[in-house]
Amino acid sequence: MNRIKLIRVKLLASAINAERLVKRYITHLRKGIFKREKKIVEALKEVSFDVRYGEIMGLLGPNGAGKTTTVKILSTLLIPDGGRAIVAGYDVLEEPEKVRENIGVTLSVEKGFFWKLTGRENLKYFGMLKGLKGKELDKRVNQLLKELGLEELEASDKLCEEYSLGMKARLALSRALLTDPPVVILDEPTLGLDPPSARTIRTLLIDMAKTRGKGVLVTTHNMFEAELICDRVAIINEGVIVAIGTVPELKRYVSGKVSIEVVAGGLDLGHDPDLSKLGFTRDEVVGTIDTEEGRLRVKILCSPGEEEDMIAEVIRRIGAAGGKVHRVDILEPSLEDVFIALTSKREVGSHGKLD
Amino acid sequence: MANWTDVFRAQLFSSIAWYKNNRFMFFSMFVWPYIMVGMIYALGTIYGDIEQYTLQMGISNPALYLFASSVVAMSSLFIVDAVAGFTLWNRWLGTLPYIILSPVKTSVILIVAGLPDSLISPVITMLGIVPAVIYYEGIIGAAKTLLVLLIIFLGMLPMLGFASLFASLLLVLKEESNILSSLSPFILLASGVFYPIEILPRILQAVSEVVPTRYVIDASKLVSTYLLPEARPLLLIIYAIAILGGVYNLLALSAIGRAERRVKKVGAI
Ligand SMILES: Nc1ncnc2c1ncn2[C@@H]1O[C@H](COP(=O)(O)OP(=O)(O)O)[C@@H](O)[C@H]1O
Ligand SMILES: [Mg+2]
Repeated sequence: MNRIKLIRVKLLASAINAERLVKRYITHLRKGIFKREKKIVEALKEVSFDVRYGEIMGLLGPNGAGKTTTVKILSTLLIPDGGRAIVAGYDVLEEPEKVRENIGVTLSVEKGFFWKLTGRENLKYFGMLKGLKGKELDKRVNQLLKELGLEELEASDKLCEEYSLGMKARLALSRALLTDPPVVILDEPTLGLDPPSARTIRTLLIDMAKTRGKGVLVTTHNMFEAELICDRVAIINEGVIVAIGTVPELKRYVSGKVSIEVVAGGLDLGHDPDLSKLGFTRDEVVGTIDTEEGRLRVKILCSPGEEEDMIAEVIRRIGAAGGKVHRVDILEPSLEDVFIALTSKREVGSHGKLD
Repeated sequence: MANWTDVFRAQLFSSIAWYKNNRFMFFSMFVWPYIMVGMIYALGTIYGDIEQYTLQMGISNPALYLFASSVVAMSSLFIVDAVAGFTLWNRWLGTLPYIILSPVKTSVILIVAGLPDSLISPVITMLGIVPAVIYYEGIIGAAKTLLVLLIIFLGMLPMLGFASLFASLLLVLKEESNILSSLSPFILLASGVFYPIEILPRILQAVSEVVPTRYVIDASKLVSTYLLPEARPLLLIIYAIAILGGVYNLLALSAIGRAERRVKKVGAI
């Protein structure tokens, strides 16, 4: 990568600039053998955000929110129905080849390799497709295999069919970084990973942004991860960005509130995610986490000063329903509270669950 | 900026690495032509004995012809398989998006990426039949085999366009593989490998005019019929191949560009 060009690009624009992106999919619901019904899915409804060089931007949202769609548009794999996106200084529709030259991308990490080739061979193949060759390619591949710990795991020269998910994710990230691109776009890079692999990847991402000045966009539905590594977070739900800002900024959405977490047992709730049997209303309960086996973990947002009354009320209701309270905690609001507060306002009945 | 040679290089690298890791497949490629010859031979003798078959097909040298035509048939199938199958296979593997993420134009990738595989296969197969050819024909036979190989490479030019045209169809369709496998016997039939074209139904005869493999078969018939093939008929065939090559590749280029846009629009990558 040409240094001067890189600097020019950096001065001129943000790493990613998405403006009112719209995407509709047409799907066919199968009804019997011959009958098909057309259905339009509005995956993105005017999505706008930007990513600066040197920062990690998190695109946080539940399944089906439109994260992958956004990633595919930004990486020129999908043509939007409306809006504009500039990536690394180039328009995705006008100069897609230039965009691709300047980005590194991972989609789902578990697929996308040749099983019968080794990790090293896979990297060399994709490196060649990017125009790398000879010594330069070998050097880069070796460097990445080391950096992502595949060398240490003795996985570099193993066939990919023998890879664990963690190894695949490491390899996927290596592939994204082959050309040392100024912009990195990663779709759920740590989904389902073992903790050491997730940690390796997160550490590297921070290094990418902080030390090497890249613009990094990471999608995730993992609040913990977003809070841990992202400089800014855009919360997306049903194709709409509902909030955008740094984690402390986002927390102001629920500022002045406290979060009470109650763990109880011995309840027969069945499938009742809204906890109506306990007489809660949607507004009070912002997060139901675990209603299995009669165990209940519930989070309630309330104003300071009200928490004692609220706790007493919860204990009373759980007792009336035949349950027993095991534990009560008063917590600082987390990003999860923000997320649930923001997304449950949009539509009653979505359970605010992130999986 | 990466270009089509990078795609070719990458694909060649991955094929070689693949054969290296799957030696059994590599060796089976040598055995293939012999199985194929057996089949064509068996079909051929439906007419009666080998003399009669020779007469029917209008060739004087059945052994060389059978070997050569089996390679021709296979190479034309391989190229359709390699080019059209490339998208299917990589879509299934999940590697397609990462391949498309190369800075090279997507339509160029889709056309070029199948090439190395289609070139490797006939070369290996040819190497596989060389012992048999030398046994029957001596060194001249080997030289002729080389000539046939050259004609095969030339014949791949129109087949490349043909296959890319087909690939763009596959790209936009959802039910894919069935069509691919039903195309192969059809190509074989319409190119006159099994039967002389004259005995095919009129409609298939007409279709065979635009199936490039037919001309490659004709050329290899010519090469195996005479000790020193006459230049003129051979040249005519080569012209036909070149014209078909131009037409198919132009068609393919525009078709694949359109298919690419459509696929990127509906989100099928
Ligand atoms: N190729 C497609 N065809 C039809 N619908 C799609 C396609 N891809 C995604 N969708 C739909 O678009 C919406 C957004 O999907 P996606 O971007 O994959 O969400 P996420 O990555 O946040 O889980 C979902 O409702 C999904 O079902
Ligand atoms: Mg997704």
